Amino acid sequence: MADEQPHGVKLARPKLLAAIALAAVAALLILFAAVLPAEYGRDPTGLGKATGLARLWAPKEVKLDPNTGAGPLAREYPAGWRTDVIEIPLKAFAGDPRDVQIEYKVRMRKGATLIYEWEVAGAQHANDLYYDFHGHTLASQPGETMTVATYKQAQAGRAAGALTAPFDGIHGWFFQNGALTPVVVRVRVAGFYELIPAGQPGNEAGIVANVPASQSRPAVPPAPPAPTAR
Amino acid sequence: MIGRRYAIAIGLGAAVALAATAALAHGVADKDAAFIQANPGLQIVPFLYLGAKHMVTGYDHLLFLAGVIFFLYRLREVALYVTMFSLGHSITLLSGVLANLHVDPFLVDAVIGLSVVYKALDNLGAYPTLIGVQPNPKLMVLLFGLVHGFGLATKLQDLELSKDGLVPNILAFNVGVELGQIVALSLILAAMTLWRSTGSFRRGAVAANVLIMTAGFVLMGQQLAGYFWEGAA
Repeated sequence: MADEQPHGVKLARPKLLAAIALAAVAALLILFAAVLPAEYGRDPTGLGKATGLARLWAPKEVKLDPNTGAGPLAREYPAGWRTDVIEIPLKAFAGDPRDVQIEYKVRMRKGATLIYEWEVAGAQHANDLYYDFHGHTLASQPGETMTVATYKQAQAGRAAGALTAPFDGIHGWFFQNGALTPVVVRVRVAGFYELIPAGQPGNEAGIVANVPASQSRPAVPPAPPAPTAR
Repeated sequence: MIGRRYAIAIGLGAAVALAATAALAHGVADKDAAFIQANPGLQIVPFLYLGAKHMVTGYDHLLFLAGVIFFLYRLREVALYVTMFSLGHSITLLSGVLANLHVDPFLVDAVIGLSVVYKALDNLGAYPTLIGVQPNPKLMVLLFGLVHGFGLATKLQDLELSKDGLVPNILAFNVGVELGQIVALSLILAAMTLWRSTGSFRRGAVAANVLIMTAGFVLMGQQLAGYFWEGAA
């Protein structure tokens, strides 16, 4: 009991103050360069952008049940009707994840409708493709939340239906190839939506619509012909 | 020079551990919450495990413990201080959840960060120099233990517990926390003993406590920022 800090060190005042200052400055540096940009999307010094850590930030998600709410069954839209065919090549399951799974979405206004049908070519089994049909708002400012609606998560070889967007945002599919062979997902959509330019949220993979699968992903050239059997 | 090298090594180790836990924390917590909500009622073993996990992966608690035992050589002293800490956090963990006290998690975690800074300063002998008195270290460990218990309580409340089997579940969680603490403490103590047996301990002790203090300041800053930007919802 008598010996409270038996083997502790005792710094003289100048050294102690220097130690506190050092710790505080280091902590501020870590906070502004890493923690605040990555955790809260706040980057007043620009250090988070410089280190790339600002990209780690993602807005808080708010889930929305897409099966609630109803609008009039007949509607008119100011935007023009369009239709597109998107061919998405996916490599065999064991490959680079960026080529095995791809997200493809379109922009829709709240209440806008599209109809779709997609099917897989090249898979050996009907259920080799996992898909997550969902939509979310685009939150880019710190403090904003992101509303997320999940329409369907399943494994299938084909699906068809209609979607009326529950909010302004991007809506579409995450496709993941579970087959040991490369496949092509052919998505046909029609209705009231806009395609998302390559590289923007919803089309990070840079998919080009209305071209054959061999040209639809210019960012990743098609695989060279397979080597001859050994 | 050796001290500096040690400091760099410890800093890198701490940074990697921090990044790893932060990266894991989100998804794993979601999975646990889903399990607890899907399985109401008496769940002794899962709660034991969750308690232990919160302790072992809770770097804020571990940093404080590392600070507390930094200069404790005798096992009897380690046991005494750790008992004070356990007593403190058990009181607030149990009463917080049972009495349904809701404390802002960001503010609690900020004070936990402060406790880390406090202990690091204590290890550098700062209080007689700065404020002219040496607060009783055992009492302070007990007081900060109370705060750490509120932190554990907020984590448990996040799981949205059902009334069914509440008391045994919380007790199991608390026992799990103590078990996790023994595991974590054994590892910290083993590493400290190893380090103390080398000549670099004396030279590195100051640097290590400056690092612990830095980590405490970072935790404080992160939680306060969270309170102002994402809290009070």
